[in-house]
Amino acid sequence: MSVILSIPTLGLIAILQSAVVSRLPLNRGIADLVLVVLVAIALQKTITTSWQWSIVGGLFMDFFSGLPFGIFTVSYLLATGLALFIRDRIWRFSFLLQLLVVFFGTIFSHALSFIVLFLQGTDISLGTVLQLVTLPSVILNFMISLPIFILIQDILEQINPQE
Amino acid sequence: MNIRFPKSLRIIALSLVAIGILALALSGVFTSFSRWVVLPLTSIQTWVSLQYQGVENFVSASQDVREIRQQNTELEADNARMQAQIVELQQQLIEFEILSALLEFARANPEHQYIGASVIGRDPSPFLNYIIINRGSDDGLRRGMPVVTQNGLAGRVVQVTATGARVSLITDPVTRINVRVEPSRSAAVLTGSITGDITLEQIPQDDDVNPGNLILTSGLGGNYPANIIVGQITSVRSRENALFQSASVQPVTDFSDLSIVLVIINFEPVDFTPLIPESGTP
Repeated sequence: MSVILSIPTLGLIAILQSAVVSRLPLNRGIADLVLVVLVAIALQKTITTSWQWSIVGGLFMDFFSGLPFGIFTVSYLLATGLALFIRDRIWRFSFLLQLLVVFFGTIFSHALSFIVLFLQGTDISLGTVLQLVTLPSVILNFMISLPIFILIQDILEQINPQE
Repeated sequence: MNIRFPKSLRIIALSLVAIGILALALSGVFTSFSRWVVLPLTSIQTWVSLQYQGVENFVSASQDVREIRQQNTELEADNARMQAQIVELQQQLIEFEILSALLEFARANPEHQYIGASVIGRDPSPFLNYIIINRGSDDGLRRGMPVVTQNGLAGRVVQVTATGARVSLITDPVTRINVRVEPSRSAAVLTGSITGDITLEQIPQDDDVNPGNLILTSGLGGNYPANIIVGQITSVRSRENALFQSASVQPVTDFSDLSIVLVIINFEPVDFTPLIPESGTP
């Protein structure tokens, strides 16, 4: 898919994330729509621009977030790297891989956020973060993974119909 | 042998027979007989009539059904329009109530100048309690300006663009606000947390603070104007050998349902940075 297409698409998704998804927390955790979309895209074998998409998505999220700039971009690049690593080694793709990568992507993102905030002197405890933020976020990300995965697959089949 | 009666006699005889039948009928002799005859006739007539009505309804129904369907479609469209209007009016009513409360707050605190702003988003990171508002530097907003709701303090502007601003809520983990407890006038520091709870810290051990006491900004530190209500103490924790007490605070603002806020635009936060000695400076 074209990198140019990623700008309006991920911009819209980032707006949705900030305006809607962030207002629907489970405990203190919130779903990461952009991460789930980027993982679903990266796991599609027909996509060759996953790295570029993850950079665009990360930049949008960094723009919307008050966290130090770059945390989302680095997290998404790590998640994309993991997705591509798995994709190139497993010949038959399963939806379970989407869940696996989303799980580790959420962990990457939260670990980076935690480390940076901790180094900045914010008083947060790892136990509280895992229990109240990370675990609910993982659950929410799992919940939105299936519909997004199916949607991305359908869109790609519409764009590149297989013979 | 063919006996022929005169015509007049026949008429008389027939008349007598008719009168006799009528007399018998009027006297009720034929009642039981007529019941036997009329009952099946009535039943048959009823059945025929019902069948006819059924056929008549079927024939006329096709036209009625078309009209009813059309009316139904129109009514459904009207219903949908009205439902949308109800939702819109309910939304307007909520906004009106919030704006009335904000106006009341602004009238009650006339020392400040305010700009109203809508909350258009939240920080996408669950680690930060930030909101995004639809007013920016074009509207006169500057970094550090306090943000309030109709109930009390909400946070402060931490980043401004031309048409929007990011507001750090008082529940954010990095929040540190100098406050005082009423009525004891004890000084304390309010801190946020990752859980969204806010806590009072550094309350002197000897000060008398109790659940139900009000928390107001003290104005110390120059980051917030004084006397803005923040919350109410729900519980106090005090240990014998500790230097300070701490307390849990229930904020007056419902942060889960923020839609409109007021930014205090005539407050300039005090920048103490030049007064802080640099490391290595004598």
